[in-house]
Amino acid sequence: MTVLLPLAHALVARRDLPIPAWLFAWGASIVLIVSFFALSVAWRKPRFEDERWRPSVPALSRALLSLPVQILCGAIGVLLLGFSIYAGLHGTEAPDRNFALTFLFITVWLGFPLFSVILGDVFRPFNPWRAIGRAIGGGFFLIAGQPPAHLTYPRRLGRWPAAMGLLAFVWLEVAYAQSGGVSVVLSPQVAGLAALIYSLYTFVMTTLFGVEKWCENGEVFSVYFGMFSQLGTFGVKDGRLGRRVPLSAAGRWAAVPGSAAVVIASIASTSFDGAQEGAFKSGIIQVFEWLSDAGMGLLAARRLSDTIFMLLCFAGVGLVYLAGVRGMSRVRGAPPLAKLRSGFVHTLIPIAFAYLVAHYFSLFVFQEQAQFTYLLSDPLGNGHTDLFGTVSGTVDFKLLSANAIWYVQVAALVIGHVAGLTLAHDRATAWWGDYRQAARSQYWMLAVMVAFTCFGLYLLSVSNS
Amino acid sequence: MNSNATRAVLGAAVVVIAIVLLVVLKNGSDKTTSNVSGEVPVIVVKHGEPVGGVRDLTYNKGERIRFKVESDVSDEVHVHGYNIMKDVKAGGSVSFDFPATIEGVFEAELEGRKEQIIELTVNP
Repeated sequence: MTVLLPLAHALVARRDLPIPAWLFAWGASIVLIVSFFALSVAWRKPRFEDERWRPSVPALSRALLSLPVQILCGAIGVLLLGFSIYAGLHGTEAPDRNFALTFLFITVWLGFPLFSVILGDVFRPFNPWRAIGRAIGGGFFLIAGQPPAHLTYPRRLGRWPAAMGLLAFVWLEVAYAQSGGVSVVLSPQVAGLAALIYSLYTFVMTTLFGVEKWCENGEVFSVYFGMFSQLGTFGVKDGRLGRRVPLSAAGRWAAVPGSAAVVIASIASTSFDGAQEGAFKSGIIQVFEWLSDAGMGLLAARRLSDTIFMLLCFAGVGLVYLAGVRGMSRVRGAPPLAKLRSGFVHTLIPIAFAYLVAHYFSLFVFQEQAQFTYLLSDPLGNGHTDLFGTVSGTVDFKLLSANAIWYVQVAALVIGHVAGLTLAHDRATAWWGDYRQAARSQYWMLAVMVAFTCFGLYLLSVSNS
Repeated sequence: MNSNATRAVLGAAVVVIAIVLLVVLKNGSDKTTSNVSGEVPVIVVKHGEPVGGVRDLTYNKGERIRFKVESDVSDEVHVHGYNIMKDVKAGGSVSFDFPATIEGVFEAELEGRKEQIIELTVNP
């Protein structure tokens, strides 16, 4: 009997091989060497605190940010969301043949973080909820002659709603999506329904607090993809496109309350997804058996045991970070603990991105082949349509060798580690007047980074059997 | 570097090295034997479930994957990833023999029942 089965199983018929022991040893050794090297070459003046913003030529900004382009992008977003909900609710029950699941959970959820790092916050113009909200706001203005009034968004709430929404989204994907005894995972119907409910919730919140305010703080996808866009070089400021020093926007982004929870939820949820069938499997089965022995139904026991481990991941990642912060606060000249707590969160964003790449790179490459062949031509999966003549397309699993996947995984974690260390050291040089104390404070963050990177490597090395 | 910091960093290094050794030794002990030599593995299906649980079969790329499924229920045996499907009748058996060309971990299922019977690993 299949006890646990994550989403990836249903969509893709292939799983990654665990990274071999020798590569794990190399990866971990490189991490240590890089870390010691970082201590010795450290710079003394901050280099990433100032964005050094360079706006693009006005014509380019005018063209790309013009109202017709905004309307077009928004319309595409609304159309794709509407279609995904329709395909989910009315298409085939087979998860791998229904457009909705691959589109929402692979193309959007994994694609936008990647494109956001490379191109900037590209989700913003395509965000369907923002587009609808703005259209309604515009209509209201035309009729009433004044913009709609909103409640004041509580500053203390910050990005907490987005963090909770992020956990809920991943929970739906990896903890809720199970069924007794057979390999039924998240059904397209449930995904379609969830998208519909989320849309209604978002409309209520944007009506209460205003579209832009809610997208900055509470709308899960805006906040999550926006977070990754802070790592890259492209952005929009005062209505102008432009470039900045890569990584330099992350610090300012993280200053909003609740940002720490978003970053931690991202690392924790990817960790859980990676460990569910590997490192945590025996533990989850143990808890599941306790719960079912105690009289709980099989499905409920599975969901609850997964939920418990997912929350433990969240708590664990949070505690490692807080331990590092507490350590730093003991170094002479340290700012107050609360300031430190939010002040170093941005250093974990590269780690969160590295985790995403390491865990989902091959899934994305393989499943996008399905997305752009048979799922595009026969989106409902009922075999009645062949819109683009690609319905007989298949996924070429030979496209990536096991070696290629392993190297990408380890490289992602090592590069994420270096970027994290860079940001942490930079922030310390800005906040500690004395250079030596700044360097000393960073032994703690170095330990945090080494812990996360080696944990990431460990998850990849554990066999998923 | 002051002495406390040295100790902290050395401590971190020791922990990492210990984990590396643990993983290396652990992986070394569970051998990844290939199924290519010897007799063809037989997976027996009773009441629609594999006897003795899901069977692990491990091959290296380039070898031939051979196995036989004996079943007391009629269904279709589907090797995912390789996308090879063969029917088996109740009380009958079906044999598979194909080259290991795609690296990764794959499942073979009784397609109608969605019951996994084989975990197929192909190493590079």
